[in-house]
Amino acid sequence: MLPEPLGALESLVEALPVDQRVNLADQGAEAGCRAAHLLAEAGRHVVLVEKGPILGGMPVRYEDVFPRLECGPCVLEPFIAEVLHGPHAENIEVHLQSEVAEAVGSFGSFTVKIRKSPRYVNLSTCIGCGACMPACPKSYANPVNCGMSERKAIDFTFYGGLPNAPYVDAQACQKLKGEDCNACVEACPIPGAIDFDQQEEVVERSVGAVLIAVGGELYDCSQLPQLGYGKLPDVVTSLEFERILAASGPTGGTVQLADGRTPEKIAIVHCVGSLDAERCAYCSGVCCMNALKFNELISHKLHGAQVTHYVKSIVLPGKEDHGLYAKVKGRETTAWVQMESAAALNISAGKNGRKVIRYGKENREYDMVVLMPAIVAGASVQETARLFDLTVDAQGFLEELHGRVDATKSKVRGVYLAGTCQAPMDMSHAMTQAASATGGILSALVPGRKLTLEAIYAVVDAERCSGCRSCLAVCPYRAIAYNDEAESAEVNPVLCMGCGTCAAACPTGAIRSRHFTNEQIFAEIEGALA
Amino acid sequence: MSSQAHIKTQPVQAPAQPTVGFEPRIVGFLCNWCSYAGADKAGAAQTAYPPNVHVVRVMCTGRIDPQFVLKAFDEGADGVLILGCHPGDCHYKEQNLRMIQRHRLFLKYLRQLGYEEERCRLDFVSAAEGEKFAQVVGEMVDTIKRLGPLSRGRSQGQ
Repeated sequence: MLPEPLGALESLVEALPVDQRVNLADQGAEAGCRAAHLLAEAGRHVVLVEKGPILGGMPVRYEDVFPRLECGPCVLEPFIAEVLHGPHAENIEVHLQSEVAEAVGSFGSFTVKIRKSPRYVNLSTCIGCGACMPACPKSYANPVNCGMSERKAIDFTFYGGLPNAPYVDAQACQKLKGEDCNACVEACPIPGAIDFDQQEEVVERSVGAVLIAVGGELYDCSQLPQLGYGKLPDVVTSLEFERILAASGPTGGTVQLADGRTPEKIAIVHCVGSLDAERCAYCSGVCCMNALKFNELISHKLHGAQVTHYVKSIVLPGKEDHGLYAKVKGRETTAWVQMESAAALNISAGKNGRKVIRYGKENREYDMVVLMPAIVAGASVQETARLFDLTVDAQGFLEELHGRVDATKSKVRGVYLAGTCQAPMDMSHAMTQAASATGGILSALVPGRKLTLEAIYAVVDAERCSGCRSCLAVCPYRAIAYNDEAESAEVNPVLCMGCGTCAAACPTGAIRSRHFTNEQIFAEIEGALA
Repeated sequence: MSSQAHIKTQPVQAPAQPTVGFEPRIVGFLCNWCSYAGADKAGAAQTAYPPNVHVVRVMCTGRIDPQFVLKAFDEGADGVLILGCHPGDCHYKEQNLRMIQRHRLFLKYLRQLGYEEERCRLDFVSAAEGEKFAQVVGEMVDTIKRLGPLSRGRSQGQ
């Protein structure tokens, strides 16, 4: 005979009313902008949080993007302009120079605290004329150009970055350090556009879902000291070379050595840190195409310059990628050296400022070396994982619900992922992920419709709960809280994913794992052995 | 474990000679995401494996209460096979690690009851490992055949 609970099957579909109005895209990388635009177009209110003073993530800093060598800012800025000034821009609340400081709640009802640093420039009145910059007496190494040039304490991130307004770096500004300086305010033609009364503020927003697009970082090349990075001049990373190629970069787009000479022989070292069991075992998937792009741009800018690729393997996954490869391969100035690993190279100083790359017994000389580091999950990925209680995978990236079929959902319901924070990827893939996550959010949070709960969530019988809190310790989703008044643990059915670990851990049998109850499983065992 | 467990098991000794023609009955608790899919894969690939394991699906090995294993022994199982995601691959973040912890403790309890530890095996089978599923099932059946049937207190008239 079946135990009683099986007689009455519990409802498989249950719904709760939820906050549908707001979605939050966290950090304004290109994927975040794309998602914000799509969500706003669908009439949703979006809170966009960007760490930096401009929107567009990393590719907006690349003058050319592979495979067609289109201009990165030109491809992205229409989306950014839509976010800032488009017909649906009133649905998007943009927070620049901001970070999520705290996140609580669950799918349908998150509460997020956003810490906003002051820009000291009023975005609604500044006309972006740049009159403040020459007046500013303080210069320092420009982080956007990887320290290869200087910026003023009040300056643009780079020309063309949106929104088109400078920002004051509080660490560099003399006035903010208490010195008697008012040079920028005096030079500014718009009264009040520069506003030193702005203060850091913390704002709180309620949102239904969260999209994380915080991006990744490059592998730290100084971890491979044999490559000479940081010690030898003209041994640069892909990001530094990207800025050298950019018209808004430190050399105005001229490829030149640190001493101003023009390089004739350039080496590009692939797979720095990648496909390396001791470092990043994975292939970052974008560096080969980036290296081929560099080769093309060098050939355009420096006629006759020799480019030698040190390769472990060549990866060309996109349908348009082989074209660029064929073009580069067909050039007489291109050479290839097959290497076992970038870690097996040794780069040292040669004569006349040259760099000597030794591989095995062979020495070759170059004027400049470009290192192509692996893409890694950076500190912001770890911090975001902590804030939203997300898991990271073996490679350190934010873990998706399922790598093949649900790569834009995290393991926490209502938290979506897009871009390099989930896995190394190119712009096209990040944009596709943004659209995919947007689709997920729009179909999960429909105005007027209640949120459907997982049928298999756990419930606590308050009468039997002894208050030991064992369940709180084992729940991976912070779905269980202890209600002091009721003297019982309580499961939030929105957060509960139905793994049933709490039911197994409960020493008094007070927790029932719906549709996987003890009675049901006992009956299955009896049936299986009957 | 809750008071709902109806444990009728008694300390036993395995028979000195394995029973001739003995076909063990084994209950397999498989997690929905990795091992159940792995078993599915073995089936889809028509991989041959012994039919002795009766599968009970749970969402996660973290759901497996030690009473489930005792219940299986009590209902006539000669062995229990628990299969979950590999450590680090859990669909529910890390609940398979909770299972590993519980299994270690449970084996101690099993020893106290006088049962051989091998009668309750924990292993990891991913959704891709149809072959491994068949291999683990084969090994488990061989092990239980070697140990012989589990004699129970109940069958001794209690």
